[in-house]
Amino acid sequence: MTVLTEPSSFDVQAVVDEVWTTFLGGEPLVPVAPDFDPAGTFPGSRWDAAVTVSGAWHGLIVVSVNDAVAHAVTQAMLGLDDGDTAAHEDVVDALGELVNVIGGNIKSLMDGPSKLSLPLVAQAPIQAGGIVETCRLDLAWGSHRVWVTVGTRDEGGTS
Amino acid sequence: MHALIIDDSRTMRSILRRIVVDLGFDVTEAGNGQEALTALEDGLEPDLCLIDWNMPLMDGYTFVTRVRADPRWRNITLMMVTTESEHGQIVRALAAGAHEYVIKPFTADAIVEKLELLGLAAQEVPA
Repeated sequence: MTVLTEPSSFDVQAVVDEVWTTFLGGEPLVPVAPDFDPAGTFPGSRWDAAVTVSGAWHGLIVVSVNDAVAHAVTQAMLGLDDGDTAAHEDVVDALGELVNVIGGNIKSLMDGPSKLSLPLVAQAPIQAGGIVETCRLDLAWGSHRVWVTVGTRDEGGTS
Repeated sequence: MHALIIDDSRTMRSILRRIVVDLGFDVTEAGNGQEALTALEDGLEPDLCLIDWNMPLMDGYTFVTRVRADPRWRNITLMMVTTESEHGQIVRALAAGAHEYVIKPFTADAIVEKLELLGLAAQEVPA
């Protein structure tokens, strides 16, 4: 029997595509060459939304977008009219639900049982101690970028 | 008919609200299981509850067990709408009394189809 220690990029991409298309429709996400160092300067005003998974698998899933994407996502998910501007708390809620669903579906790729945390959303990088990045998707949504990173708990043998 | 939507995400409540309003439901929203239980205690009589699993204060599973333990609410149809997709969790929820289980993300058609099967939405007759 094979025990997965981390989700594959292929599977994470499939989850993100499904969630994005179902909730947001329209323009698909397109993989692009990595052009952003998470430790460097973020291109634009940053929003991070994250959930953790704990149990048989320990992981951190983070969706990172700029302010324009954050508001566009919120507008689409809440069904706001073009002229309506999403309030700050609406953006927090929409991004939180987006990462909640992405994280829940990534959790289902791994051996259980495990538990999904409530989402955390911040206008700053979200990181967790003891977690190492194991998968990162660099995606284009129209002219904007979307990043999804998955981290797995460092069990000491990770190089 | 009346639907009670129970989810800590206002965004998700809004998505579900649009779907069931299109089917002719009146809607009440609650941000967690405790808030929903209080609404029932206060006399709300929904035909349908759409219930998230992971919520603060009282989760959806606990809400289902509490509703099913009270004969006053035996006629309410309970549908879980959640990211929880582990087989064991699905079995637990259905065994506790949930009638249906929908995993997020979902399309509007998926919700409508489940409600048709439950007799809470009119089935489309093929032309």
